[in-house]
Amino acid sequence: MKIFVCIKSVPDTAATIKLSGESSFEDSDCKFVINPYDEYGIEEAVTLVEKNGGEVVVITAGRASADGALRSAMAIGANRAIHVKTEEQFLDSSFTAKVLKAAIERDGMPDIIFTGKNSVDTEGFQTPYRLAAELGFPVVNEISKLKINGDKAVAEREIGGGDREVLEISLPAVIGVTKGLNEPRYPKFPDIMKAKKKPVNLITISDLGIDELFSKSRLVKLESAPERSGAKMIQGSVEAQVKELIRILKEDEKVL
Amino acid sequence: MNKKYDAIIIGAGVIGCPIAYELCKMGYKTLNVDKNPDAGEGSTAGSCAIVRAHYSTADGVAMAYEGFKYWLDWENYLDHVKDEKGLAKYMNTGSLLLKSEGHDWKKVKKNYDEVGVKYEEWDNEKIKQMIPPIDLHKFWPVTRPEDPKFYDEPTEMLEGGIFCPEGGYMNDPALSAHNIMRATEAKGGQFIFNAEVVSIRSENGRVVGITLKDGTQIDSPIVVNVGGPHSFKVNKMAEGVWEGCNIKTKALRHEVMYCPSPDDYDYLNKGYHMSDGDIACYSRPEVGNTFLIGSEDPKCDPQEWVDPDEFYAGKGGPGRDNQLTEAQWKAQCYRWAKRIPTLPVPNQPKGVVDLYDCSDDWIPIYDKSDLNGFYMAVGTSGNQYKNAPVVGRMMAELINACERQGLEHDKTPFQFKYQYTGRVMNVGFFSRKRAINKNSSFSVNG
Ligand SMILES: Cc1cc2nc3c(=O)[nH]c(=O)nc-3n(C[C@H](O)[C@H](O)[C@H](O)COP(=O)(O)OP(=O)(O)OC[C@H]3O[C@@H](n4cnc5c(N)ncnc54)[C@H](O)[C@@H]3O)c2cc1C
Repeated sequence: MKIFVCIKSVPDTAATIKLSGESSFEDSDCKFVINPYDEYGIEEAVTLVEKNGGEVVVITAGRASADGALRSAMAIGANRAIHVKTEEQFLDSSFTAKVLKAAIERDGMPDIIFTGKNSVDTEGFQTPYRLAAELGFPVVNEISKLKINGDKAVAEREIGGGDREVLEISLPAVIGVTKGLNEPRYPKFPDIMKAKKKPVNLITISDLGIDELFSKSRLVKLESAPERSGAKMIQGSVEAQVKELIRILKEDEKVL
Repeated sequence: MNKKYDAIIIGAGVIGCPIAYELCKMGYKTLNVDKNPDAGEGSTAGSCAIVRAHYSTADGVAMAYEGFKYWLDWENYLDHVKDEKGLAKYMNTGSLLLKSEGHDWKKVKKNYDEVGVKYEEWDNEKIKQMIPPIDLHKFWPVTRPEDPKFYDEPTEMLEGGIFCPEGGYMNDPALSAHNIMRATEAKGGQFIFNAEVVSIRSENGRVVGITLKDGTQIDSPIVVNVGGPHSFKVNKMAEGVWEGCNIKTKALRHEVMYCPSPDDYDYLNKGYHMSDGDIACYSRPEVGNTFLIGSEDPKCDPQEWVDPDEFYAGKGGPGRDNQLTEAQWKAQCYRWAKRIPTLPVPNQPKGVVDLYDCSDDWIPIYDKSDLNGFYMAVGTSGNQYKNAPVVGRMMAELINACERQGLEHDKTPFQFKYQYTGRVMNVGFFSRKRAINKNSSFSVNG
């Protein structure tokens, strides 16, 4: 079984991000982690390969610093990594999908490709679909339960209101995963040490014959989210409070 | 008319609260003023709250041992006060000091003998029996993961450790300060929160009161600086006080990491507090069968001195806010993982960052000042949580001796008698005028 896991190195959501210039931020100060949803994919892939044999390849399109995320993934148990080097942190998802497709094809076709359901930095929710379209694979996303039966997979996703959708898809497929699928294991120090020595195949965009400038969207501007102001206490009788609340919702917040 | 108190205590952390408590018990009408919204919400909230006796000076050992007795007797100490939040709990795990080149453990042992601290010597075999996942190789000297030497294979073994059955931690440090606040209120003490002191007023060489940010003035002939990491800022507000200190304080950033315990080891219920100078880390159990891993500040680690206001405002990127840094996460977790090789190290870091109020020699200043009526309990250097109730008693007696009995503490230092161990402490040891104490470990070990 050959499984690819597409991962992304993203700023820790708890990090304080300092903007610099129009559309970038000071990343030397900022801690980067594996996109948390991708960890479910890594864990699932590693467990499947532990059971059935084969190999887990983690792949990322990202800057030099994304090496940290690849090493973390290999500490969880991925066998090797492919790093398509880019200059930018923010990539257009159609571009990412093309890059991943080319690199995966070059490496040899997999049985399954896992991705996280989305990345927590840009929240694009597109890469799994676009990658599947590029490859002509079926795709399911937000999967929290999975069973592999030969060349088929039975995947479950929550669709709100406590209901679950059960899907059967043929492999190879792109499977976007989310919380609930498993408990990603924590690497131990010897695993971390081993991961340092596992092979990372470093390739460039041009190695893949893709035009670096190909991008359907472009990041124009980054702005900090407005600081949340503290809670406002409304005083007075119940009636007065309700009146004031409605006034605020209508006039100040303009939501009614 | 300004409100008037017998004593104003700036700060309602785990050190400020017991000072007020003891003063109240002596009949003083006290007011604690804190800019945070509740007691213990300052650096106390981030504390590991470890209670252990090993210090590099006999006085340090004695005080910690005395402090231990208070935590053991917590409900009594609080005079059985009710706290709507519940009571903090002392967890007696026992405390293991590994013998290493990173600690002057021979000095510690001598101090234990002098003070009468109970201890056992454990050889490697015994340690291994008590802590199955431990690796007792010697990893000295301490290095950082960026240094290739970090990964050198160890060849020698450590030589055992010193185990104190009396030691552990308080399970909720902020709550413990809150408990003391409730006990203080029961004795008539008052507290105000969200109230920042911006100036300290004095006349003719004597303190007369404080002024809050909103302009409110409150008067008192006694003001005590227990501002934690802000202590140097508070000292600078009082005329001549900062200048009159030979030992100064400043705020040092400190990260504490959380790693789950290996699956087959019940660290929470069977583990010990451990001090490991060989890798410059300490640890204690935390709920969720977690290792809480702190650093003993080895020389190879950068020290980050920060502005406490900027830090607590969360401004200015890592190094100046309350987020773990990747480099330090690796340093502390990987070091601890050498000792516990099956330690799981999460890819997504979890932990706490807070500030030490560090003095020049990592020994606190418990003293009067060059301004009459102005006192300080500062420079707690990351290791005074355990002493808080003793410090409360000692400071209250010192203040009372100076204010009501005319003691000239700078000339004839106050002698404080410990309630439990009966030992007498020369409070001059903690003087702001002292020369740097060369016996100190110059680290969080004190
Ligand atoms: C991460 C960490 C781990 C630690 N681990 C241990 C340990 O394991 N064992 C141990 O013994 N010790 C430990 N310590 C040390 C111990 O926790 C501290 O020494 C102790 O909590 C300090 O208490 P405090 O009351 O002096 O300070 P704080 O709790 O910081 O209280 C000071 C208060 O003063 C207030 N204040 C400051 N300036 C003003 C102003 N101008 N106006 C109004 N209010 C003001 C602040 O708001 C704050 O609430 C640790 C410390 C840290 C940071």
